[in-house]
Amino acid sequence: MKLANFLSKAFLEINGFKKQFFFSVVCLVFAQTAFSQQQVTGTITDKSGIPIAGASVVEKSTTNGTVTDFDGNFEITTSDSNAILVFSYLGFATQEVPATSNMSVVLEEDLEQLSEVVVIGYGTQKRADVTSSVATVKAEDFVQGNVKDAAQLIQGKVAGLSVSAPSGDPTEGTQISLRGMSSLSADSAPLVLVDGVPGSLNTVAPEDIESVDVLKDGSATAIYGTRGTNGVIIITTKKGTNDMKSTIEYNGYASLATIADRMNFLNASELRQKFNEGYTFTGANLQDFGADTDWVDEITRDAFSQVHNIIFRGGNSTSNMTASVNYRDIEGIFLKSNNEKYTGRINVNHAMFDNKLKTNVGVILSEQVYNALGDGQSFNPTIYRQAIIHNPTEPIYNEDGSYFERAVYFYDNPVSMIQETIGENRYRTSRIDFSMSYDFGDHLTVKGLYTRKGETNIRGFYQTKNHVSTTESGQDGFASRGTDNYVGNYGQFTVDYDNNFGDHRVTALAGYNYEDNMNEGFWANNRRFPTDGFTYNNIGSGQGLQLGEAGMGSFKNADKLIAFFSRVTYNYDNRYLLMASLRREGSTRFGEDYKWGNFPGISLGWRVDQESFAENWDWLSNLKLRTGFGVTGTNAGERYQSLSGLSYGDYFFNNGQWVRQLVPSRNANSNLRWEKKEEFNVGLDFGVLGGRINGSVDYYNRTTKDALFDYSVPTPPYFYGSIAANVAEIKNTGLEFLLNVTPFQTDNFQWTANLTYSTNTNEIVSLSNDEFQLTNDFFDEGYTGEPIQISTHRVQEGQPIGNFFGLKSVDITDDGIWIIERPDGSRVPATEATNDDRQVLGNGLPKAYYSWNNTVKYKNWDLMFNLRGALDYQILNFSRMFYENPTIGYNTLDSAYDLVYGKAVLQDVQRYVSHYIEDGDFLKIDNVTLGYTLPKDAIKFAQTFRIYASGLNLATFSKYKGIDPEINNRDNPLSPGNDNRDKYPTIRTFTLGINFTF
Amino acid sequence: MKNIRNKVTTLRLRFLILSVSVLLLPISCTDLEEEVFSEVTESSFVPAESDIIAVMASAYTPMRYVMGWQGYFDVQEEPADMFVTPTRPNGWDDGGTYKRMHFHEWTETQWQPRNTWITCFNGINSANRVILQIESGELPVSEAQATSIIAEMRALRALYYSMLVDTHGNVPIIASYSDELPVQSSRSEVYDFIVSELNEVIPNLTETVDQSTYGRMTKWAAYHVLARVYLNAEVYTGTAQWDNVIAACDEIIDSGAFELSSNYSDIFATENQGNSEMVFAIPYDQIFAGQWNAHMKMMNPEHRLVFGMQAQPWGGSSCNPQFIDSYEPTDNRLADTWLMGDQLSYTDGSVVFTLVKEMPSIYGCDFTQGFKCGKYEIEPGATGGLSVDFPFLRYTDVLMMKAEALLRTDRSDEAATIVTQVRMRSFDDPADAAVTGAELEGDTTVEYGTLAEDGTIDEPGDQSVVPYGRFLDELGWEFAAEARRRTDLIRFGVYQTKNWYNHTPKGDYTTLFPIGLEELNTNTNLNQNPGY
Repeated sequence: MKLANFLSKAFLEINGFKKQFFFSVVCLVFAQTAFSQQQVTGTITDKSGIPIAGASVVEKSTTNGTVTDFDGNFEITTSDSNAILVFSYLGFATQEVPATSNMSVVLEEDLEQLSEVVVIGYGTQKRADVTSSVATVKAEDFVQGNVKDAAQLIQGKVAGLSVSAPSGDPTEGTQISLRGMSSLSADSAPLVLVDGVPGSLNTVAPEDIESVDVLKDGSATAIYGTRGTNGVIIITTKKGTNDMKSTIEYNGYASLATIADRMNFLNASELRQKFNEGYTFTGANLQDFGADTDWVDEITRDAFSQVHNIIFRGGNSTSNMTASVNYRDIEGIFLKSNNEKYTGRINVNHAMFDNKLKTNVGVILSEQVYNALGDGQSFNPTIYRQAIIHNPTEPIYNEDGSYFERAVYFYDNPVSMIQETIGENRYRTSRIDFSMSYDFGDHLTVKGLYTRKGETNIRGFYQTKNHVSTTESGQDGFASRGTDNYVGNYGQFTVDYDNNFGDHRVTALAGYNYEDNMNEGFWANNRRFPTDGFTYNNIGSGQGLQLGEAGMGSFKNADKLIAFFSRVTYNYDNRYLLMASLRREGSTRFGEDYKWGNFPGISLGWRVDQESFAENWDWLSNLKLRTGFGVTGTNAGERYQSLSGLSYGDYFFNNGQWVRQLVPSRNANSNLRWEKKEEFNVGLDFGVLGGRINGSVDYYNRTTKDALFDYSVPTPPYFYGSIAANVAEIKNTGLEFLLNVTPFQTDNFQWTANLTYSTNTNEIVSLSNDEFQLTNDFFDEGYTGEPIQISTHRVQEGQPIGNFFGLKSVDITDDGIWIIERPDGSRVPATEATNDDRQVLGNGLPKAYYSWNNTVKYKNWDLMFNLRGALDYQILNFSRMFYENPTIGYNTLDSAYDLVYGKAVLQDVQRYVSHYIEDGDFLKIDNVTLGYTLPKDAIKFAQTFRIYASGLNLATFSKYKGIDPEINNRDNPLSPGNDNRDKYPTIRTFTLGINFTF
Repeated sequence: MKNIRNKVTTLRLRFLILSVSVLLLPISCTDLEEEVFSEVTESSFVPAESDIIAVMASAYTPMRYVMGWQGYFDVQEEPADMFVTPTRPNGWDDGGTYKRMHFHEWTETQWQPRNTWITCFNGINSANRVILQIESGELPVSEAQATSIIAEMRALRALYYSMLVDTHGNVPIIASYSDELPVQSSRSEVYDFIVSELNEVIPNLTETVDQSTYGRMTKWAAYHVLARVYLNAEVYTGTAQWDNVIAACDEIIDSGAFELSSNYSDIFATENQGNSEMVFAIPYDQIFAGQWNAHMKMMNPEHRLVFGMQAQPWGGSSCNPQFIDSYEPTDNRLADTWLMGDQLSYTDGSVVFTLVKEMPSIYGCDFTQGFKCGKYEIEPGATGGLSVDFPFLRYTDVLMMKAEALLRTDRSDEAATIVTQVRMRSFDDPADAAVTGAELEGDTTVEYGTLAEDGTIDEPGDQSVVPYGRFLDELGWEFAAEARRRTDLIRFGVYQTKNWYNHTPKGDYTTLFPIGLEELNTNTNLNQNPGY
């Protein structure tokens, strides 16, 4: 009874409320329609009269809007008879036109793109207002084809940003560097933000990216203080907008990859010819084994790959969503190097309370599986090395079907190694974003954002009993498993203010940033398995554990970054521009008293073309002078370096038992602090002839102080021979040119060209400070590896990073021994040369990069071809240094038997001499894409439909004798230009692709 | 309408406050304390009693570098007349490092001597750290324990200095764990330091010789080190200390704690722990302490098939043929030390390859050229880390030091008695084992001079008589490949005067290695050794 009473009362109340609400809404709607409703129809076309589908039509100052249909037609009911309609479409200038009953709107293509929005740290800015060096690349200008990651999309498109793909391994990413090397510590990678949150170039699929912005100079990146030193790459994903028509966009391609170039080693008949010529060899090429085997062929293949990407987008007046799935199945050119990745992404936006409260929820999930030919690694360089150094007359198998093996030093059958290895790595990543912003009227917006990131992987690796690990080393099967886990939290809270006071426009931003990262992992390995049947799936069944031959380990570490930041921009009459920012950031990795650092940035701009005196300069569409100064920081590469820790290490035999020793973990440096880079930038943006020629010029001068490095210290008093400390000072200067030209433009034909050129000069100013002093002003870096065993580079004060330092070969004796020129000019045979005879032999860092990108459109055809190159640098060709020598115990390059200096065949030991240092300058035809967009009337089912064919890494013009003059410098940044002999060869890919939108 | 707007406004405000505070909650801290998971922080560490040995261990473990990659073995053997590491089919030029060692043309960047410097100072540093931790009360020890641990650490520190005084001479004496930049001392000051330290701590060291003191500094190990520095005192200071050598050796002999191993090879067997000769052993183990890879450098790759090893050796060093030729034919130590001739398969006894004595040139030898050191037992299944414990100080050395001191103080017959006693186990016929004092005073039987590719002497060089040269030969035969030949050659004046294999003498200054570039670079207090 009581309950019923309550329910009926509640119902009545709700009912009452409903009635009241309904009445009010009706009143409201009626009141508005009664006053000023107006029905508007119209068509939107481009200059040539082609209808623009999907263009946005919005009534100004309202959320009322629609989009055009296939034929460019639209229909909208305005709320006011004096309504202004805003017409916009990507790539066209936005127009505002008073609504009339039947409209015909022609949108002008926006070549100048001054109105385009540039993503800067924690916000956006109009291109016209930007006062620092920021580059933007939109989806339509991306490199097409089988690209590895986001960086390859913009390869050669941004002056000063060098992007290379020095490895053909589908698991390896690209290598990027911006404005030279400004740090001695290993990591020179820019900070990558994916929709505002730190991520990686692989966080989202390349097909899912709308645009990439690159913040280059210190005044722009200072707001990211901590990791702004190497620039910031901001990735914006494809997103839905409110009131957009629902679309489904498909992007897919299939591609074929081949090895770009092979080194010429002796094949079987060439080796036999050498035997006939009287050459005798030891080791691998001791004798003719009667077969004819192309070992590299036996472990490689032509690789087929496919990629599919679908994006769903749509929205109503208050909500929009984007969902995408991406599948990539990439084969590597080595057998068993497949790499599959699935990525799913959902992004939902919802606006409430007159669009004042906006919420966003985003989820990105991915799963990647790839073969592991090495323990935990995709590629095993040993297998490749064994293939190239193998005797081509050896058979692969014995008559009984077992692998043909010989007891030669470091010499194992590569086919056995690749076929008898079973490995798989599986990665899963997740990212959940949640953000909310509230707009307090016209001037103030508050935004909060939280992201949870996760990454796990599990690895499995097994070498069967037919692998050399058993047949030669008696391990009886070897299994390894491992897993890692990463969890990160990222939070951000910002307050935005913007206002106009007459000609004065001011924006201000204040914020707080929190980030923590935790990594943990576990691994184990074992051997002596009863059967190959389990592979790595029953690791406890091996006896190696009982015999003390198994291994295991685990770890966990964590760190935090916390920052407060603020920024002010000021614009006077669109002529004078100012941006100033300050970030105060703290990292757990530094010493107790040095955790916090301040990173200010300021930049100024003057838009000359807006001045009254420039009013009549009709040819000038844009002229802006910019200058800026900013301080950015580099975080310590490793955690805990400022901390005195103890570790249980090596064993000690005590009273019949082995016990672990307890030793300090490191030389702790409690004074460890931020590495700071000060950068001055001055630039000029220009556009003439209505923007048909536009571009920019930038000069930068960056000085890195307190550069972090592992410095040598005396032992004692120190426990270990090196300590992480802030000592060096490095200077980089450079010029960057960007030129966009549209040489031809008619209704049917358009050619746009984009040229970039950038230079960099680098100098190590100092390697000592008050606390840490080097008696000599240098240290040696780089390593040839066995059997040459010597350093390759010298890092010296007053010199650039990357100097090759070794013996200068100038001639050869009749006996085939190198003749070395000493620094004083005298000459001695290499057998008498000492380390004191070494000198600078070249430099491995290019002094300039250039690119020339072209897009040609003719009717429905489009052709894109990109050329790019690097100038003025040297490469140490390891392959020649090791294999262009007839005395070695392995197969050799064909060229090993050529006369050196036209005089004698080399008879010396393998040596690091200048003969193997070559000029690396190159020009690459990097990306050629031919596309055809089906005419609108030819297809009924789709809005757009484009097919294309594309080639990547098509041709290289260079005097360099190695496989590819683009070198992997990431792993050893202080010894650039070392072209490792085991590197995964680069590939050439051909792609056929389709894009269409429903 | 107004009503609704109010409601919405209130709701809006509430929602805003809620959302802002929710967003701020997890991020409202500025705490930057480092969280540590997989190591111990020094500030929070409270050592347990079991940690005492773990802390002391750090002072001992550096000794394992002796038979490690380019360790003490290389420093003592590569510049001497017994081992040569020529270019092989798989390399071994290694930037010329072994040739520079053979030619005595090293510079301040030569790694092997730097490795000795770094490792010994690592041990010294660790010993000082233990002493500091005891003295400061950081480690929970009784007073008696404290006395004996400090004595042991000081003796161990003296052992490291006994290596440094021999290799680099003028090194800093660092007697405490501090932040101060070390100051260089002269070679004779270092010698004095070692002698006074050992004499001071010997009364506090244990006399026990059993499992509990195996691999540790006992009173006898300290006397042994003392005898060694006395033996070389003339080289280090210019003043000989022969009587002190005898006195120190007698302390060990009279203790009765050691006796000669009846079988020579037992001293170098895999299970040699507890051998009656061990005064101070460096324990190795293929699982727990696998740093011994000297055998990998000394064996051929195909020795894997000969010994049934798991690892494939690297095939570098062999024995200078001139030294092989010096052996008496009936001396079993020749075959106990060197692998010669046919090398037979571990599985079926077939010939895998044949080692020949001749080594044409340091610039090029095949794998099979030159006899290989096989003194240390290779067990089937051996890996890159051997389990033999290295007999760093062994009883035979005590006897031989005493014999040398007697020999050099005109008591050659007494010396001969001792040498004969040592030789007995290595000759089938006791008559062959006997030597006389007159023989020991005579010249060396090694035919010095550089070798042409055909093995004949092409440059004889200094052919003057080596005083007590025959005793030097005895040391060579007995202690071949025991990481000491360089010291012996210097004491007998051969190192700086004679030609051998491809080596010609470069001068007296080569008896000390240069101080490393990196060390000079980082410590401005150091001056380079003379001659460099």
